[in-house]
Amino acid sequence: MTMRRIGVYICHCGGNISDYVDVEKVRGTVESEPGVVVAKTAMFTCSDATQQEMLQDIQEQNLDGLVVASCSPKLHTFTFRGVARRAGLNPYEYTQVNVREQCSWAHTDDRAGATEKAIRLVRAGIARTGLTVPLDPTVVQTVPKALVVGGGIAGLRAALGLSDIGIAVFLVEKEAQVGGWVAGFGSMYPHEKNGQELMAHLKGEIAKRSNITVFTKAELVGKAGSFGNYQATIKVGGGKAGAAPAAAAETIQVDVGSIIVATGFDSYHPEAGEYGYGMEGVVTLPEFKELLDSSGLGAGEGRGNGHRDGHDSGRDDGGAGTALTYKGRPVRSIAYIYCVGSRQSRDVPNANTYCSRFCCNAAVHTSLEVAAAAAPRTGGGGVSAGVRQYHLYRDMRTYGKYELLFNEARDKGSVFLKFGDDAPPAVARDERSGRLLVTVADQLTMSTEVTIPADLVVLVTGMVPRSNEELIKTLKLPVGKDRFFNEIHPKLRPVETVVDGVYICGACQGPKNSAESVASALAAVTQSAGILKKGFAELEPLVAKVDPDQCTWCGKCQESCPYDGAIRREQVAEGQGEGKVTGRVKGRGKEVAVIDAAVCKGCGGCAPLCPKDAIDLQGYTDAQIKAMIEGLAKEVGQ
Amino acid sequence: MAVAVLNPDLVDMVRRGSHDFNASACMNCGACSAVCPMGIQLLPRKLFRYVLLGMEDQVKENTETIYSCLLCKMCEVNCPGGVHIAENVRSLRHFINRQVFRL
Repeated sequence: MTMRRIGVYICHCGGNISDYVDVEKVRGTVESEPGVVVAKTAMFTCSDATQQEMLQDIQEQNLDGLVVASCSPKLHTFTFRGVARRAGLNPYEYTQVNVREQCSWAHTDDRAGATEKAIRLVRAGIARTGLTVPLDPTVVQTVPKALVVGGGIAGLRAALGLSDIGIAVFLVEKEAQVGGWVAGFGSMYPHEKNGQELMAHLKGEIAKRSNITVFTKAELVGKAGSFGNYQATIKVGGGKAGAAPAAAAETIQVDVGSIIVATGFDSYHPEAGEYGYGMEGVVTLPEFKELLDSSGLGAGEGRGNGHRDGHDSGRDDGGAGTALTYKGRPVRSIAYIYCVGSRQSRDVPNANTYCSRFCCNAAVHTSLEVAAAAAPRTGGGGVSAGVRQYHLYRDMRTYGKYELLFNEARDKGSVFLKFGDDAPPAVARDERSGRLLVTVADQLTMSTEVTIPADLVVLVTGMVPRSNEELIKTLKLPVGKDRFFNEIHPKLRPVETVVDGVYICGACQGPKNSAESVASALAAVTQSAGILKKGFAELEPLVAKVDPDQCTWCGKCQESCPYDGAIRREQVAEGQGEGKVTGRVKGRGKEVAVIDAAVCKGCGGCAPLCPKDAIDLQGYTDAQIKAMIEGLAKEVGQ
Repeated sequence: MAVAVLNPDLVDMVRRGSHDFNASACMNCGACSAVCPMGIQLLPRKLFRYVLLGMEDQVKENTETIYSCLLCKMCEVNCPGGVHIAENVRSLRHFINRQVFRL
């Protein structure tokens, strides 16, 4: 083997590493390793100046390998790959060694031990780099079409966004109609936008686009192919009872470049007896909104019929028939209990520990609707016939612009009572009057225990993830502890999943209001467009590779592979095969395993199972791993 | 303290004719009590809270206190919420006159 020319750069990280690791000693020890031509330390290897120095060294010293010992590869892999590329070195000839998270930060009490460990880690990195070969990214052609799963506000807006930039869309909706939750909403905060109107507008726009195909009563049941070129299988109809008679299920195959999942949420359903749920007069917030809309009190009522009502018709008329009633009885007092099904204690089985984020705003907004509908009417001695509203909350989270809703509700007469996490309100029925009684210790009145007589108790219920077992299986979507779908990075990659080309948006990834759902839907659109408009995508070449000389097809690798279609069985035709390994394949006509580099994720699960040792993981070959172990195990003094 | 059953109509009972009662902006900070020259402990933040919630008995029990107020407005000029404290106390006196003294 010809001697490599490797450059090693060890980072102080401004003290993060050098406070606990003697970086000069590391440099002095590893500079004599075989193949090392340059060994330097730097205050910050990621700084522009040091990057420039590396670039010069690579070119002037004619380096063919680069080792950077600094922080986690999560932070700077792409930084230093870029340095290599700019210097004309193949990016895969560079190795990142983590001497911060996995060394200095972990051993702040043992400077000598940390230094020794750093030496071993850097030696392993050098050993790996000594055996690297130039690799090229796998280029895949992308299909300029996308599949959107879920026809709620996020899915429909995503479909329109894709359509606008010339990407054809297939939209799959499980229900008989698109529209989702929002189509059932009346007036929505913060600007009294009407849910039915919003969705009617979106549906109208969708109908105008020739490049959007909507499948209702449909589900995504299969996904094959690779990133940028998926074959999706959609099952249409036939699923549910009550569907059109004798509607047989039909299966449709479409080719798409990306998949956007916007399957939304479910409303939390309280347990029987939870805050009195199940008693007459105890309702959830969605149930209460329905009651408001159906009694003509919600601002949304009537707008669906197409007439604009200016602002206040149906609210102020105060005529007979518009007073709020429940089961024939007038409602004069309402108690709202917040955080039902959200921010639960960890002691509750399957606790929803998260805040559902939209509910404080939704409940406060609802109380404003009630206040407007039941505005004090003059007459009869001037005593108003308003509805008294009590809000029992843990923490009021009317964040951002919605703070104004809270102020307005307070000004309109809503009373807010704060209860402690450990002292939830109790709901009971007064046997004599038949009224509901809500007892709570109000922290804002020196924790005085008070009992509120209420005609209605509204449980402000949060969001829970839908059960999407089939979809999770089909798409191999990662699900978080909270059972919502997981993005790669909550801040920097908020709509991408670990499955390339599959994006998530809306409330399926966590509680969101409709505005936030739309924002994330449009983020998913731009991410999709990023790969689909370019026409091709570049994938990491760090994937498994089969040596057809060794392979005799036993199928063990395919059995172990978690990715559909990554390993296929193929007959070696004349002059074909994975020729890169040997150029010539022994035993033409024999069957071997062939790996689709676009589907393989390089997990390495197949490599150790191969009885012929025919599989190597590019970038992490057996030879490289063995060399790394030797580098780690070598005595430090030597 | 025994559990107080709220009277949801209390605020409306205090608000009568030209007498308004508005303490929704009160956030219980206590600036009013701190500057009160009479050193009245209850006034006005606890009292207003009783009214807002509908704790009728607690309001009626504090007739003396409600009439101890000088209406000097020291509290009002110092109130960060801009609550019209003196106006509220006047409305409460009318309420007490009617409901307690039967005037």
